[in-house]
Amino acid sequence: MAVAALGASARALRLRSGLLGPWQTQMREAHQRAALLSFWELIPMRAEPLRKKKKVDPKKDQAVKDRLKKRIRRLEKASQELIPIEDFIIPAKLLDKTRQRPKVELPFEESERRALLLKKWSLYKHQEHEKERDAITSMLESQQEALQELKLISPELHEEATKRDPNLFPFEREGPDYTPPISSYQPPEGRYHDITKVYTQVEFKR
Amino acid sequence: MAAPVGRTVLGVTKGWRRLEGLRTASLGSRSLSLAAAPSSSGSPWRLLGALCLQRPPLVSKPLTPLQEEMGALFQQIEVERSRYSDHELRALDEARRLAKKKADLNDEEDDEQDILLVQDLEDVWEQKFLQFKPGARVTEADKKNDRTSLQRKLDRNLVLLVKEKLGDQDVWMLPQAEWQPGETLRGTAERTLATLSENNLEAKFLGNAPCGHYKFKFPQALRTESSLGAKVFFFKALLLTGDFSRTSKKDHHVWVCKEELGDYLKPKYLTQVRRFLLDL
Repeated sequence: MAVAALGASARALRLRSGLLGPWQTQMREAHQRAALLSFWELIPMRAEPLRKKKKVDPKKDQAVKDRLKKRIRRLEKASQELIPIEDFIIPAKLLDKTRQRPKVELPFEESERRALLLKKWSLYKHQEHEKERDAITSMLESQQEALQELKLISPELHEEATKRDPNLFPFEREGPDYTPPISSYQPPEGRYHDITKVYTQVEFKR
Repeated sequence: MAAPVGRTVLGVTKGWRRLEGLRTASLGSRSLSLAAAPSSSGSPWRLLGALCLQRPPLVSKPLTPLQEEMGALFQQIEVERSRYSDHELRALDEARRLAKKKADLNDEEDDEQDILLVQDLEDVWEQKFLQFKPGARVTEADKKNDRTSLQRKLDRNLVLLVKEKLGDQDVWMLPQAEWQPGETLRGTAERTLATLSENNLEAKFLGNAPCGHYKFKFPQALRTESSLGAKVFFFKALLLTGDFSRTSKKDHHVWVCKEELGDYLKPKYLTQVRRFLLDL
Protein backbone atom coordinates (compact mmCIF):
# COMPACT_ATOMS: atom_id res chain seq x y z
CA MET A 1 0.00 0.00 0.00
CA ALA A 2 2.69 2.43 1.08
CA VAL A 3 4.79 1.41 -1.90
CA ALA A 4 1.83 2.05 -4.22
CA ALA A 5 1.18 5.44 -2.63
CA LEU A 6 4.89 6.36 -2.91
CA GLY A 7 4.90 5.13 -6.47
CA ALA A 8 1.83 7.24 -7.26
CA SER A 9 3.32 10.37 -5.77
CA ALA A 10 6.59 9.75 -7.61
CA ARG A 11 4.64 9.40 -10.86
CA ALA A 12 2.77 12.56 -10.14
CA LEU A 13 6.00 14.42 -9.52
CA ARG A 14 7.53 13.07 -12.67
CA LEU A 15 4.41 14.01 -14.72
CA ARG A 16 4.78 17.57 -13.76
CA SER A 17 8.28 17.58 -15.14
CA GLY A 18 8.00 21.16 -16.14
CA LEU A 19 6.96 22.15 -12.67
CA LEU A 20 8.94 22.83 -9.58
CA GLY A 21 8.71 20.72 -6.49
CA PRO A 22 5.86 20.83 -3.97
CA TRP A 23 7.50 23.44 -1.77
CA GLN A 24 7.99 25.89 -4.55
CA THR A 25 4.44 25.41 -5.92
CA GLN A 26 2.93 26.55 -2.69
CA MET A 27 4.51 29.91 -3.03
CA ARG A 28 3.04 30.61 -6.46
CA GLU A 29 0.13 32.94 -7.12
CA ALA A 30 -3.32 31.87 -6.12
CA HIS A 31 -4.79 31.92 -9.63
CA GLN A 32 -2.58 29.13 -10.68
CA ARG A 33 -3.23 26.99 -7.73
CA ALA A 34 -6.63 25.52 -8.55
CA ALA A 35 -5.43 23.38 -11.45
CA LEU A 36 -1.98 22.66 -10.24
CA LEU A 37 -2.78 21.90 -6.68
CA SER A 38 -5.57 19.46 -7.50
CA PHE A 39 -3.32 16.63 -6.45
CA TRP A 40 -2.50 18.31 -3.20
CA GLU A 41 -6.08 19.07 -2.37
CA LEU A 42 -6.63 15.39 -2.10
CA ILE A 43 -4.37 15.41 0.95
CA PRO A 44 -6.05 17.49 3.64
CA MET A 45 -3.44 20.07 4.60
CA ARG A 46 -5.55 22.25 6.80
CA ALA A 47 -7.55 19.79 8.79
CA GLU A 48 -8.39 20.19 12.39
CA PRO A 49 -9.45 17.46 14.79
CA LEU A 50 -13.15 16.39 14.36
CA ARG A 51 -15.64 18.00 16.74
CA LYS A 52 -17.43 15.65 19.09
CA LYS A 53 -21.20 15.23 18.37
CA LYS A 54 -23.32 16.25 21.38
CA LYS A 55 -25.35 13.40 22.84
CA VAL A 56 -28.39 15.57 23.49
CA ASP A 57 -28.96 16.16 19.79
CA PRO A 58 -30.87 12.97 18.92
CA LYS A 59 -33.20 13.55 21.86
CA LYS A 60 -33.78 17.12 20.79
CA ASP A 61 -34.56 16.05 17.23
CA GLN A 62 -36.98 13.45 18.50
CA ALA A 63 -38.73 16.03 20.67
CA VAL A 64 -39.07 18.42 17.74
CA LYS A 65 -40.50 15.68 15.55
CA ASP A 66 -43.00 14.72 18.23
CA ARG A 67 -44.19 18.28 18.63
CA LEU A 68 -44.67 18.59 14.87
CA LYS A 69 -46.63 15.35 14.74
CA LYS A 70 -48.87 16.48 17.58
CA ARG A 71 -49.56 19.73 15.76
CA ILE A 72 -50.39 17.85 12.56
CA ARG A 73 -52.72 15.53 14.45
CA ARG A 74 -54.56 18.43 16.03
CA LEU A 75 -54.95 20.08 12.63
CA GLU A 76 -56.26 16.89 11.12
CA LYS A 77 -58.85 16.46 13.85
CA ALA A 78 -59.97 20.02 13.49
CA SER A 79 -60.18 20.04 9.71
CA GLN A 80 -62.64 17.17 9.28
CA GLU A 81 -65.32 19.39 7.84
CA LEU A 82 -68.44 17.80 6.53
CA ILE A 83 -69.50 18.59 3.00
CA PRO A 84 -72.19 21.28 3.28
CA ILE A 85 -75.61 20.46 1.85
CA GLU A 86 -76.37 23.56 -0.13
CA ASP A 87 -80.12 23.02 -0.02
CA PHE A 88 -80.20 23.31 3.75
CA ILE A 89 -78.25 26.54 3.97
CA ILE A 90 -80.57 29.52 3.63
CA PRO A 91 -78.73 32.44 2.03
CA ALA A 92 -78.70 35.40 4.38
CA LYS A 93 -80.36 37.81 1.97
CA LEU A 94 -83.54 35.73 1.97
CA LEU A 95 -84.04 36.16 5.71
CA ASP A 96 -84.68 39.88 5.31
CA LYS A 97 -87.79 41.33 6.84
CA THR A 98 -88.69 43.07 3.61
CA ARG A 99 -89.00 39.68 1.99
CA GLN A 100 -91.75 38.39 4.18
CA ARG A 101 -95.24 38.22 2.82
CA PRO A 102 -98.05 39.79 4.79
CA LYS A 103 -99.95 37.19 6.75
CA VAL A 104 -103.06 35.97 4.98
CA GLU A 105 -106.22 35.57 7.02
CA LEU A 106 -108.25 32.80 5.41
CA PRO A 107 -112.01 33.23 5.42
CA PHE A 108 -114.03 30.50 7.06
CA GLU A 109 -115.33 29.04 3.79
CA GLU A 110 -111.86 28.78 2.35
CA SER A 111 -110.47 26.92 5.33
CA GLU A 112 -113.49 24.60 5.30
CA ARG A 113 -113.01 23.90 1.62
CA ARG A 114 -109.35 23.14 2.20
CA ALA A 115 -110.02 20.76 5.05
CA LEU A 116 -112.66 18.90 3.03
CA LEU A 117 -110.40 18.66 0.01
CA LEU A 118 -107.55 17.29 2.09
CA LYS A 119 -109.81 14.59 3.49
CA LYS A 120 -110.97 13.60 0.02
CA TRP A 121 -107.38 13.53 -1.12
CA SER A 122 -106.25 11.26 1.69
CA LEU A 123 -109.09 8.85 0.89
CA TYR A 124 -108.14 8.87 -2.78
CA LYS A 125 -104.49 8.21 -2.01
CA HIS A 126 -105.45 5.36 0.29
CA GLN A 127 -107.56 3.77 -2.44
CA GLU A 128 -104.75 4.23 -4.95
CA HIS A 129 -102.32 2.55 -2.59
CA GLU A 130 -104.68 -0.39 -2.09
CA LYS A 131 -105.10 -0.82 -5.84
CA GLU A 132 -101.35 -0.81 -6.36
CA ARG A 133 -100.84 -3.28 -3.56
CA ASP A 134 -103.47 -5.63 -4.97
CA ALA A 135 -101.96 -5.42 -8.43
CA ILE A 136 -98.53 -6.26 -7.07
CA THR A 137 -99.82 -9.22 -5.01
CA SER A 138 -101.65 -10.58 -8.02
CA MET A 139 -98.51 -10.31 -10.14
CA LEU A 140 -96.45 -12.06 -7.51
CA GLU A 141 -99.03 -14.83 -7.11
CA SER A 142 -99.16 -15.39 -10.84
CA GLN A 143 -95.38 -15.63 -10.94
CA GLN A 144 -95.25 -18.09 -8.05
CA GLU A 145 -97.85 -20.31 -9.66
CA ALA A 146 -95.96 -20.28 -12.92
CA LEU A 147 -92.79 -21.28 -11.11
CA GLN A 148 -94.61 -24.12 -9.36
CA GLU A 149 -95.87 -25.41 -12.68
CA LEU A 150 -92.41 -25.21 -14.11
CA LYS A 151 -91.08 -27.17 -11.18
CA LEU A 152 -93.60 -29.91 -11.84
CA ILE A 153 -92.61 -30.04 -15.47
CA SER A 154 -88.87 -30.02 -15.14
CA PRO A 155 -86.65 -29.14 -12.18
CA GLU A 156 -83.84 -28.06 -14.50
CA LEU A 157 -85.89 -25.38 -16.19
CA HIS A 158 -87.14 -24.27 -12.80
CA GLU A 159 -83.60 -23.90 -11.56
CA GLU A 160 -82.61 -21.86 -14.55
CA ALA A 161 -85.66 -19.67 -14.15
CA THR A 162 -84.82 -18.90 -10.54
CA LYS A 163 -81.24 -17.86 -11.29
CA ARG A 164 -80.28 -14.22 -10.97
CA ASP A 165 -80.03 -12.24 -14.15
CA PRO A 166 -76.80 -10.21 -14.03
CA ASN A 167 -77.79 -8.09 -17.01
CA LEU A 168 -80.93 -6.82 -15.36
CA PHE A 169 -79.25 -4.25 -13.09
CA PRO A 170 -78.29 -1.43 -13.40
CA PHE A 171 -81.69 -0.79 -14.89
CA GLU A 172 -82.14 2.75 -16.19
CA ARG A 173 -85.19 4.18 -17.86
CA GLU A 174 -86.40 7.72 -18.42
CA GLY A 175 -89.85 8.28 -17.07
CA PRO A 176 -92.84 9.69 -18.96
CA ASP A 177 -92.76 13.43 -19.71
CA TYR A 178 -95.66 15.79 -20.21
CA THR A 179 -95.30 15.87 -24.02
CA PRO A 180 -93.74 13.30 -26.35
CA PRO A 181 -90.35 14.02 -27.94
CA ILE A 182 -90.43 16.00 -31.18
CA SER A 183 -88.79 14.05 -33.96
CA SER A 184 -86.99 16.93 -35.70
CA TYR A 185 -86.16 19.22 -32.81
CA GLN A 186 -83.25 21.68 -33.15
CA PRO A 187 -81.97 22.65 -29.72
CA PRO A 188 -80.70 26.25 -29.41
CA GLU A 189 -77.01 26.83 -30.09
CA GLY A 190 -74.67 27.39 -27.21
CA ARG A 191 -72.23 25.81 -24.84
CA TYR A 192 -73.05 24.15 -21.58
CA HIS A 193 -70.98 25.45 -18.65
CA ASP A 194 -71.42 23.28 -15.62
CA ILE A 195 -70.89 25.43 -12.53
CA THR A 196 -71.93 23.01 -9.82
CA LYS A 197 -69.65 23.19 -6.82
CA VAL A 198 -67.94 19.89 -6.16
CA TYR A 199 -66.70 19.34 -2.64
CA THR A 200 -64.10 16.76 -1.79
CA GLN A 201 -63.55 15.50 1.67
CA VAL A 202 -59.87 14.86 2.31
CA GLU A 203 -59.47 11.87 4.55
CA PHE A 204 -56.32 11.49 6.56
CA LYS A 205 -55.73 7.87 7.27
CA ARG A 206 -53.36 7.14 10.11
CA MET B 1 -86.52 -36.17 -14.67
CA ALA B 2 -89.62 -35.47 -16.72
CA ALA B 3 -88.57 -34.09 -20.07
CA PRO B 4 -91.30 -32.47 -22.12
CA VAL B 5 -91.91 -33.84 -25.57
CA GLY B 6 -90.91 -31.44 -28.24
CA ARG B 7 -91.04 -33.25 -31.48
CA THR B 8 -94.47 -34.74 -32.02
CA VAL B 9 -95.79 -34.46 -35.52
CA LEU B 10 -99.53 -33.98 -35.72
CA GLY B 11 -99.57 -34.81 -39.34
CA VAL B 12 -102.49 -32.85 -40.63
CA THR B 13 -101.42 -29.24 -40.10
CA LYS B 14 -98.07 -27.55 -40.27
CA GLY B 15 -98.54 -25.58 -37.10
CA TRP B 16 -100.16 -26.86 -33.98
CA ARG B 17 -103.77 -26.45 -33.11
CA ARG B 18 -105.23 -24.95 -30.07
CA LEU B 19 -108.85 -24.77 -29.11
CA GLU B 20 -110.65 -23.97 -25.95
CA GLY B 21 -111.47 -27.19 -24.24
CA LEU B 22 -110.98 -26.51 -20.60
CA ARG B 23 -114.49 -26.96 -19.31
CA THR B 24 -113.93 -30.55 -18.31
CA ALA B 25 -110.21 -30.27 -18.13
CA SER B 26 -109.79 -28.68 -14.72
CA LEU B 27 -111.02 -31.74 -12.86
CA GLY B 28 -109.79 -34.37 -15.17
CA SER B 29 -106.46 -32.88 -16.20
CA ARG B 30 -104.53 -33.78 -13.09
CA SER B 31 -105.53 -37.42 -13.10
CA LEU B 32 -105.09 -37.71 -16.84
CA SER B 33 -101.63 -36.21 -16.82
CA LEU B 34 -100.56 -38.37 -13.91
CA ALA B 35 -101.87 -41.45 -15.64
CA ALA B 36 -100.24 -40.53 -18.91
CA ALA B 37 -96.83 -39.63 -17.47
CA PRO B 38 -95.61 -43.06 -16.55
CA SER B 39 -96.88 -44.57 -19.75
CA SER B 40 -95.05 -42.23 -22.13
CA SER B 41 -91.38 -41.32 -21.98
CA GLY B 42 -92.09 -37.78 -20.82
CA SER B 43 -95.04 -35.70 -19.73
CA PRO B 44 -97.82 -35.25 -22.26
CA TRP B 45 -97.75 -31.48 -22.01
CA ARG B 46 -95.99 -29.52 -24.66
CA LEU B 47 -93.96 -26.54 -23.56
CA LEU B 48 -94.26 -23.14 -25.10
CA GLY B 49 -92.51 -19.92 -24.25
CA ALA B 50 -94.45 -16.72 -24.86
CA LEU B 51 -93.45 -13.09 -24.88
CA CYS B 52 -95.33 -10.26 -23.21
CA LEU B 53 -93.75 -7.31 -24.97
CA GLN B 54 -94.76 -3.98 -23.49
CA ARG B 55 -94.22 -0.48 -24.78
CA PRO B 56 -93.84 1.70 -21.71
CA PRO B 57 -95.69 5.04 -21.68
CA LEU B 58 -94.03 8.12 -23.19
CA VAL B 59 -96.34 10.68 -21.67
CA SER B 60 -97.91 11.16 -18.25
CA LYS B 61 -101.57 10.44 -17.71
CA PRO B 62 -104.03 13.35 -17.65
CA LEU B 63 -105.04 14.45 -14.15
CA THR B 64 -108.43 13.64 -12.69
CA PRO B 65 -110.52 16.61 -11.44
CA LEU B 66 -109.65 15.82 -7.82
CA GLN B 67 -105.96 15.73 -8.65
CA GLU B 68 -106.21 19.07 -10.43
CA GLU B 69 -107.95 20.70 -7.51
CA MET B 70 -105.42 19.31 -5.13
CA GLY B 71 -102.60 20.50 -7.36
CA ALA B 72 -103.99 24.01 -7.36
CA LEU B 73 -104.38 23.92 -3.57
CA PHE B 74 -100.79 22.83 -3.06
CA GLN B 75 -99.57 25.63 -5.29
CA GLN B 76 -101.59 28.16 -3.31
CA ILE B 77 -100.26 26.94 0.02
CA GLU B 78 -96.71 26.99 -1.31
CA VAL B 79 -97.02 30.57 -2.46
CA GLU B 80 -98.57 31.63 0.85
CA ARG B 81 -95.76 30.13 2.87
CA SER B 82 -92.94 31.41 0.70
CA ARG B 83 -90.85 34.58 0.77
CA TYR B 84 -90.78 37.18 -1.96
CA SER B 85 -88.43 36.45 -4.82
CA ASP B 86 -86.23 39.07 -6.53
CA HIS B 87 -88.66 39.36 -9.40
CA GLU B 88 -91.59 39.97 -7.08
CA LEU B 89 -89.68 42.53 -5.03
CA ARG B 90 -88.85 44.40 -8.19
CA ALA B 91 -92.49 44.32 -9.25
CA LEU B 92 -93.58 45.69 -5.86
CA ASP B 93 -90.98 48.48 -6.02
CA GLU B 94 -92.11 49.52 -9.44
CA ALA B 95 -95.74 49.49 -8.45
CA ARG B 96 -94.97 51.77 -5.50
CA ARG B 97 -92.94 54.10 -7.68
CA LEU B 98 -95.67 54.33 -10.29
CA ALA B 99 -98.24 55.06 -7.60
CA LYS B 100 -96.03 57.81 -6.18
CA LYS B 101 -95.50 59.28 -9.62
CA LYS B 102 -99.20 59.37 -10.23
CA ALA B 103 -99.84 60.92 -6.83
CA ASP B 104 -97.51 63.87 -7.34
CA LEU B 105 -97.29 64.51 -11.05
CA ASN B 106 -95.46 67.81 -10.75
CA ASP B 107 -92.60 66.15 -8.91
CA GLU B 108 -90.28 65.35 -11.79
CA GLU B 109 -88.16 62.42 -10.82
CA ASP B 110 -84.99 61.83 -12.74
CA ASP B 111 -85.13 58.98 -15.17
CA GLU B 112 -83.09 56.60 -13.16
CA GLN B 113 -85.74 53.95 -13.35
CA ASP B 114 -85.23 51.01 -15.61
CA ILE B 115 -86.68 51.24 -19.03
CA LEU B 116 -87.74 47.68 -18.79
CA LEU B 117 -90.62 47.15 -16.47
CA VAL B 118 -91.46 43.84 -14.93
CA GLN B 119 -94.56 43.67 -17.06
CA ASP B 120 -92.51 43.96 -20.24
CA LEU B 121 -90.24 41.16 -19.15
CA GLU B 122 -93.18 38.93 -18.42
CA ASP B 123 -94.66 39.67 -21.83
CA VAL B 124 -91.40 38.78 -23.54
CA TRP B 125 -91.26 35.51 -21.68
CA GLU B 126 -94.85 34.70 -22.57
CA GLN B 127 -94.13 35.33 -26.25
CA LYS B 128 -91.14 33.06 -26.18
CA PHE B 129 -93.15 30.31 -24.56
CA LEU B 130 -95.88 30.56 -27.15
CA GLN B 131 -93.37 30.23 -29.93
CA PHE B 132 -92.38 26.76 -28.78
CA LYS B 133 -94.61 24.03 -30.13
CA PRO B 134 -94.47 20.91 -27.98
CA GLY B 135 -95.31 17.45 -29.29
CA ALA B 136 -98.94 16.43 -29.29
CA ARG B 137 -100.17 14.26 -26.45
CA VAL B 138 -103.05 12.93 -28.50
CA THR B 139 -101.58 11.73 -31.75
CA GLU B 140 -103.05 11.01 -35.15
CA ALA B 141 -102.99 7.33 -34.49
CA ASP B 142 -105.31 7.98 -31.57
CA LYS B 143 -107.75 9.80 -33.75
CA LYS B 144 -107.72 7.13 -36.42
CA ASN B 145 -107.66 4.37 -33.83
CA ASP B 146 -104.93 2.67 -35.76
CA ARG B 147 -104.17 -0.21 -33.47
CA THR B 148 -101.09 -1.41 -35.29
CA SER B 149 -99.23 1.81 -34.62
CA LEU B 150 -96.94 2.37 -31.65
CA GLN B 151 -97.82 6.07 -31.42
CA ARG B 152 -101.26 5.44 -30.08
CA LYS B 153 -102.14 5.96 -26.40
CA LEU B 154 -98.84 7.43 -25.36
CA ASP B 155 -99.82 7.44 -21.71
CA ARG B 156 -100.52 3.72 -21.37
CA ASN B 157 -98.62 0.48 -21.50
CA LEU B 158 -99.21 -1.22 -24.83
CA VAL B 159 -98.89 -4.99 -25.23
CA LEU B 160 -98.17 -6.79 -28.46
CA LEU B 161 -100.74 -9.30 -29.69
CA VAL B 162 -100.29 -11.54 -32.67
CA LYS B 163 -102.79 -13.42 -34.77
CA GLU B 164 -101.92 -17.03 -35.41
CA LYS B 165 -103.67 -19.33 -37.80
CA LEU B 166 -104.35 -22.65 -36.17
CA GLY B 167 -106.03 -25.19 -38.33
CA ASP B 168 -109.27 -23.62 -39.25
CA GLN B 169 -109.28 -20.82 -36.73
CA ASP B 170 -107.54 -17.48 -36.39
CA VAL B 171 -106.66 -16.87 -32.81
CA TRP B 172 -105.23 -13.74 -31.21
CA MET B 173 -102.61 -14.38 -28.55
CA LEU B 174 -99.31 -13.22 -27.19
CA PRO B 175 -96.47 -14.26 -29.51
CA GLN B 176 -95.11 -17.66 -28.58
CA ALA B 177 -92.85 -20.42 -29.79
CA GLU B 178 -92.27 -24.06 -29.00
CA TRP B 179 -89.59 -24.89 -26.49
CA GLN B 180 -86.61 -26.72 -27.87
CA PRO B 181 -84.47 -28.92 -25.67
CA GLY B 182 -81.19 -27.30 -24.84
CA GLU B 183 -82.46 -23.77 -24.28
CA THR B 184 -84.08 -22.04 -21.34
CA LEU B 185 -87.67 -20.85 -21.56
CA ARG B 186 -86.45 -17.27 -21.60
CA GLY B 187 -84.36 -18.23 -24.61
CA THR B 188 -87.54 -19.41 -26.29
CA ALA B 189 -89.11 -16.04 -25.62
CA GLU B 190 -86.06 -14.27 -27.05
CA ARG B 191 -86.25 -16.47 -30.11
CA THR B 192 -89.89 -15.50 -30.55
CA LEU B 193 -88.88 -11.85 -30.44
CA ALA B 194 -86.22 -12.34 -33.06
CA THR B 195 -88.43 -14.26 -35.45
CA LEU B 196 -91.31 -11.81 -35.04
CA SER B 197 -89.54 -8.74 -36.09
CA GLU B 198 -86.60 -10.11 -38.07
CA ASN B 199 -84.30 -8.42 -35.55
CA ASN B 200 -85.90 -4.99 -35.70
CA LEU B 201 -87.27 -4.92 -32.19
CA GLU B 202 -85.02 -4.45 -29.17
CA ALA B 203 -86.34 -5.36 -25.77
CA LYS B 204 -85.10 -5.59 -22.22
CA PHE B 205 -86.17 -8.78 -20.50
CA LEU B 206 -87.19 -8.44 -16.88
CA GLY B 207 -85.53 -11.42 -15.29
CA ASN B 208 -85.26 -15.13 -15.90
CA ALA B 209 -88.49 -16.17 -14.24
CA PRO B 210 -91.82 -16.37 -16.05
CA CYS B 211 -94.49 -13.95 -14.92
CA GLY B 212 -97.48 -16.19 -15.64
CA HIS B 213 -98.56 -19.40 -17.24
CA TYR B 214 -101.51 -20.84 -19.07
CA LYS B 215 -102.30 -24.44 -19.71
CA PHE B 216 -104.93 -25.91 -21.91
CA LYS B 217 -105.78 -29.21 -23.41
CA PHE B 218 -106.25 -29.99 -27.01
CA PRO B 219 -109.72 -31.00 -28.08
CA GLN B 220 -110.42 -34.71 -28.02
CA ALA B 221 -109.89 -35.09 -31.71
CA LEU B 222 -106.34 -33.84 -31.58
CA ARG B 223 -105.12 -35.56 -28.50
CA THR B 224 -102.53 -38.21 -29.01
CA GLU B 225 -100.68 -40.41 -26.60
CA SER B 226 -97.93 -37.96 -26.05
CA SER B 227 -99.54 -34.56 -26.47
CA LEU B 228 -102.46 -33.93 -24.24
CA GLY B 229 -102.25 -30.21 -24.26
CA ALA B 230 -99.79 -27.43 -23.89
CA LYS B 231 -98.43 -25.16 -21.20
CA VAL B 232 -97.47 -21.63 -22.09
CA PHE B 233 -95.13 -19.59 -19.92
CA PHE B 234 -95.11 -15.82 -20.31
CA PHE B 235 -92.02 -13.67 -20.04
CA LYS B 236 -92.12 -9.91 -19.65
CA ALA B 237 -90.02 -7.58 -21.72
CA LEU B 238 -89.94 -3.81 -22.17
CA LEU B 239 -89.63 -2.48 -25.68
CA LEU B 240 -86.57 -0.26 -26.09
CA THR B 241 -86.44 0.63 -29.76
CA GLY B 242 -87.65 -0.59 -33.09
CA ASP B 243 -90.96 -1.35 -34.63
CA PHE B 244 -92.46 -3.64 -37.18
CA SER B 245 -91.58 -2.69 -40.72
CA ARG B 246 -94.40 -1.15 -42.64
CA THR B 247 -94.28 -3.75 -45.36
CA SER B 248 -94.94 -6.72 -43.13
CA LYS B 249 -98.36 -8.28 -43.02
CA LYS B 250 -100.76 -5.67 -41.73
CA ASP B 251 -103.34 -7.76 -40.08
CA HIS B 252 -101.09 -9.88 -37.96
CA HIS B 253 -100.11 -7.76 -35.02
CA VAL B 254 -101.71 -5.22 -32.77
CA TRP B 255 -100.52 -2.99 -29.93
CA VAL B 256 -103.20 -2.95 -27.30
CA CYS B 257 -103.72 -1.53 -23.84
CA LYS B 258 -105.15 -3.55 -20.96
CA GLU B 259 -108.80 -2.66 -21.47
CA GLU B 260 -108.75 -3.54 -25.11
CA LEU B 261 -107.33 -7.00 -24.49
CA GLY B 262 -110.85 -8.25 -24.02
CA ASP B 263 -111.60 -7.49 -27.67
CA TYR B 264 -109.03 -9.95 -28.83
CA LEU B 265 -108.27 -12.65 -26.32
CA LYS B 266 -110.32 -15.65 -25.30
CA PRO B 267 -111.82 -15.41 -21.79
CA LYS B 268 -109.73 -17.96 -19.88
CA TYR B 269 -106.54 -16.81 -21.55
CA LEU B 270 -107.50 -13.25 -20.77
CA THR B 271 -107.95 -13.84 -17.04
CA GLN B 272 -104.51 -15.37 -16.77
CA VAL B 273 -102.89 -12.59 -18.73
CA ARG B 274 -104.58 -9.83 -16.79
CA ARG B 275 -103.12 -11.07 -13.54
CA PHE B 276 -99.64 -10.09 -14.48
CA LEU B 277 -100.30 -6.97 -16.54
CA LEU B 278 -100.03 -3.85 -14.45
CA ASP B 279 -103.00 -1.59 -14.92
CA LEU B 280 -101.70 1.96 -14.86
